[in-house]
Amino acid sequence: MPIQLTSQAYCKMLLHTAKYPHCAVNGLLIAEKSKEKKKDGHGVPVLCVDCVPLFHGTLALAPMLEVALTLIDTWCKENNYIIAGYYQANERKKDSKPNQVAEKVAARITENFSEAAIVMVDNSRLTVSCSEPIVVIYDHHENKWRNREVTMYASDCAFPLDVQAFWTCHSAKCTLRLNFSPATFPEHVKLCSLNRAILKHSETFKIKVM
Amino acid sequence: MASVSELYDVGWEEMRDKLRKWREDNSRNSEQIVDVGEELISDHASKLGDDVWIIYEQVMIAALDCSRDDLALTCLQELRKQFPDSHRVKRLTGMRLEALERYDEANKHYDAILEDDPTNTAARKRKISILKAQGKNGEAIRELNEYLEQFVGDQEAWHELSELYINEHDYGKAAFCLEELMMTNPHNHLYCEQYAEVKYTQGGLENLELSRKYFSQALRLNNRNMRALFGLYMSASHIAASPKVSAKVKKDNIKYAAWAANQINRAYKVSICKQHSDILKTTSFT
Repeated sequence: MPIQLTSQAYCKMLLHTAKYPHCAVNGLLIAEKSKEKKKDGHGVPVLCVDCVPLFHGTLALAPMLEVALTLIDTWCKENNYIIAGYYQANERKKDSKPNQVAEKVAARITENFSEAAIVMVDNSRLTVSCSEPIVVIYDHHENKWRNREVTMYASDCAFPLDVQAFWTCHSAKCTLRLNFSPATFPEHVKLCSLNRAILKHSETFKIKVM
Repeated sequence: MASVSELYDVGWEEMRDKLRKWREDNSRNSEQIVDVGEELISDHASKLGDDVWIIYEQVMIAALDCSRDDLALTCLQELRKQFPDSHRVKRLTGMRLEALERYDEANKHYDAILEDDPTNTAARKRKISILKAQGKNGEAIRELNEYLEQFVGDQEAWHELSELYINEHDYGKAAFCLEELMMTNPHNHLYCEQYAEVKYTQGGLENLELSRKYFSQALRLNNRNMRALFGLYMSASHIAASPKVSAKVKKDNIKYAAWAANQINRAYKVSICKQHSDILKTTSFT
């Protein structure tokens, strides 16, 4: 099932990666909850409209990940969204394969949304200019995560044009040292609004990292 | 492009003090260090006295982080001129080679330093970093273990080893490294909190109880540690939900979880109030 990213989701993901160049980063992809049923086994492609940056540094620890998943899932349910994917950028430049953490989180997401995908950022192609998509998307087929070709669409999402404008804007801001960076979950933990649902949903996303 | 001193209206002394603060805090804000440091050395080098050399070193490392090889080379050449036989400068040469991914040459530099001075910890740690950069985590772990057998007190190394073990999902050994750190730093809430997270991830009732205790300890040491608060809530909830616990343990853990949830709610309310008051301050009618 093809997955599509809006320029907002894509850019936020890359901004998160760029904010912590010396760390691995990860986050979730959010899609609008569609009421359409599948027809002939081929549904509408999933459009990820936004992403939620989660962590940087050590990604392989469970407690905060569980809290984040619970909070985000609750928010999604209240706002008619669904967690549709997971993105990760590894620590090393030449490493863009999903690791055990990515597969485990994605497996959990797949339990609630069968067409979940893993989006890995290809660090080696991360540059200031933005001429091609630098992500590798993995789908779950026959118990393995396989990567798929990524293409750009010249559609309403205006992937290349939006992204180039957004990215050029950001890199210009980088040079001028303006503070423009997405807040991440650890930063969220210091602010933001909580809903009581954390008390109800704590069991939902228990991840067993073996 | 405006200079840093123009943009932020600071003098060279403030820039120098800022660099010192970043050095002491060991912060990795390389872009800022490059901006401030580059201007400081190009415009005010003569006023810095002996500080200039440590600033060259700091700016050089930050420049490597930002792929500014031109600046890194300039700093390195100044340092080489001033300290021609220094191992410390040799290490910087090696680091530049690492940044250029010339790992074999970098290793040769470090081996030369170690032949001269087998106790040079910096060169050994750089060799381990090369292994990590090449993705050879298993070898890096082995070398780091050997290093720690000789230099048991090196806390940075213990922490690095714990991270390597976590990335390899060997949580038992990661916990051991964090235990070493907690022994030597009993008042550091961050080590307690990270140890608790590792124990939680390991799983199993005993580990969950241990993790709850260490999350509590982290909170005792710093009651503003939100991660510890969340961790306490999660571990207490899971223990209470486990079928293997007695009724009393269940009741106690429900109490702990409720307390933690309460504290979390309060913390959020306070921060929302603060956000609202911040917004109000910036509007024109207050």
